[in-house]
Amino acid sequence: MRLLRGKASLESCKVWSRILLLLALAIVLVGCGGSGSGGGNGGSGGSGEKQGGTLTILAASSLTDAFAELGKIFEQQNPGTTVKTSLGASSELLAQIQQGAPADVFASAAEEEMNTAVKDGLVAGKPEIFVKNREVIIVPKDNPANIKSLEDLSKPNIKLVLAAKDVPAADYAVEILGKANKVYGPNFKQDVLSNVVSREADVRASVNRVVVGDADATFGYASDYTPDIREKVKVITIPPNLNIIATYPIATLKDAKEPGLAKKWVDLVTSKEGQRVLKKWKFEPAAQ
Amino acid sequence: MRGSKRGKNPTGLSGGREWLASGLATGALGILAGFIAVPILSLVVWTVNEEAWGAMASPVAREALSLSMRTTAATMVILVVVGTPAAYVLARGTFRGSGALNTLVELPIVLPPSAAGIALLLAFGRLGLVGEYLNAFGITLSFTTVAVVMAEVFVAAPFYLRQAATGFAEVDRTIEEAALVDGADRTAVFLRVTVPLAFPALVAGAVTAWARALGEFGATIIFAGNLRGITQTIPLAIYSEFQSNIDAAVALSVLVLGFAFAVILTVRYLSRRAVEYRH
Repeated sequence: MRLLRGKASLESCKVWSRILLLLALAIVLVGCGGSGSGGGNGGSGGSGEKQGGTLTILAASSLTDAFAELGKIFEQQNPGTTVKTSLGASSELLAQIQQGAPADVFASAAEEEMNTAVKDGLVAGKPEIFVKNREVIIVPKDNPANIKSLEDLSKPNIKLVLAAKDVPAADYAVEILGKANKVYGPNFKQDVLSNVVSREADVRASVNRVVVGDADATFGYASDYTPDIREKVKVITIPPNLNIIATYPIATLKDAKEPGLAKKWVDLVTSKEGQRVLKKWKFEPAAQ
Repeated sequence: MRGSKRGKNPTGLSGGREWLASGLATGALGILAGFIAVPILSLVVWTVNEEAWGAMASPVAREALSLSMRTTAATMVILVVVGTPAAYVLARGTFRGSGALNTLVELPIVLPPSAAGIALLLAFGRLGLVGEYLNAFGITLSFTTVAVVMAEVFVAAPFYLRQAATGFAEVDRTIEEAALVDGADRTAVFLRVTVPLAFPALVAGAVTAWARALGEFGATIIFAGNLRGITQTIPLAIYSEFQSNIDAAVALSVLVLGFAFAVILTVRYLSRRAVEYRH
């Protein structure tokens, strides 16, 4: 306010006009940015004729690599389209959809999240189970805690990492521990859970804790043992009678901006070619 | 204020332009204030509508609040004990490399906290540069409360150091020298003269650093991990609860809002009293 008084008024006018100029410039720049990206969208739409557009997929983080490869195939099959995949814990993705995140397809690592989405009226049509996965234990290659089996996870002073509560990979793990209680003794689950040192955002984050060597073990999916990390970690299988099969449902979303492309994506994922790619990344076919 | 302004500039083009300018400036302030107030209000509205108050007393919330209080308190003790003399050296020392040192200690301000977390992990994690040797002695830091404090010190230290150093630089050296001439030793001068004179700056720095430590998320979740009662501070609890129980996430946010408000008001009150006491 001092600026606006008496003699200083002329100078303050200059100062103010400069500030206003800067503000105006900022607004113009922001405006340009907006229209620029809008133009970009229009451009890609135009170049792809009728088929242009951006397909937004929300997918469980375990699908990271398989969906990246399928995305490239999809973009080749549908010239001009862009596939945007947002990866995270299925529970987190569900929360995003519930909060109105704009997306076309939801691929969950468990039926529970998909069922909630259906119940909340967020899904168009009926979800399809497109793939299955199996839980494994992942340990660092040098295996500092000397873990050789599921049973070893109950030994004291192991640094076990799990995905957060409600993340399918962690829920499945707890389910497995519950089953194992009947075999390894009533305190088994309790003992294993007392070894948990951190709950990570999603399954890939918990696997990365083992990759960087800070955790002694984590529960992940067979598909999380990707070529990238094979030099740093190894897999310990869970006895089949105690393991569970993770089933992955996929569905197009009610508020999809690109319902046509969304349908095409589901078709690709469930096609022979889609299943081949998923199998390559250590998923198991849905029909088994 | 408008009245007095108009009184001094009753007519003329520049008066009109001034009026416009100050109107626009007031409008800008209004927009910003609204932009900040509306989300904060939304937190409270949600809490009232959804009756999410109960979630504030849930074990997750209590453990997170307790952990945040303990870790930020430890961070502040470390910053005050180590940071105060360090800031003094930074402010007064004109040694080789002091410029580079200044830049180094300010780096965490501009470094995204998640990058800081990765850096800490690669340094102090089990296979880290330093962590490997610590591990040989049986010391592991990752997934411990100590790691939370380390992350908080890393990101908050520059805020305290910078303001404390500015405060020390503004202290009149002749007063210190006069005390030295009177026979006081250097430590006594530092504690009895320099620190009291720089006190408002030290408090301001401490409050900013504390707020930064309280809000610490990225470095903590990456370096320290996320486990209730051990490493799950309030920001991490908010993030974790958002995935399963949004009411709890909102309640925690309101809780930390009130908590932060109370601490800032208390510190302001105490520092005002301290300043009054000195005069």
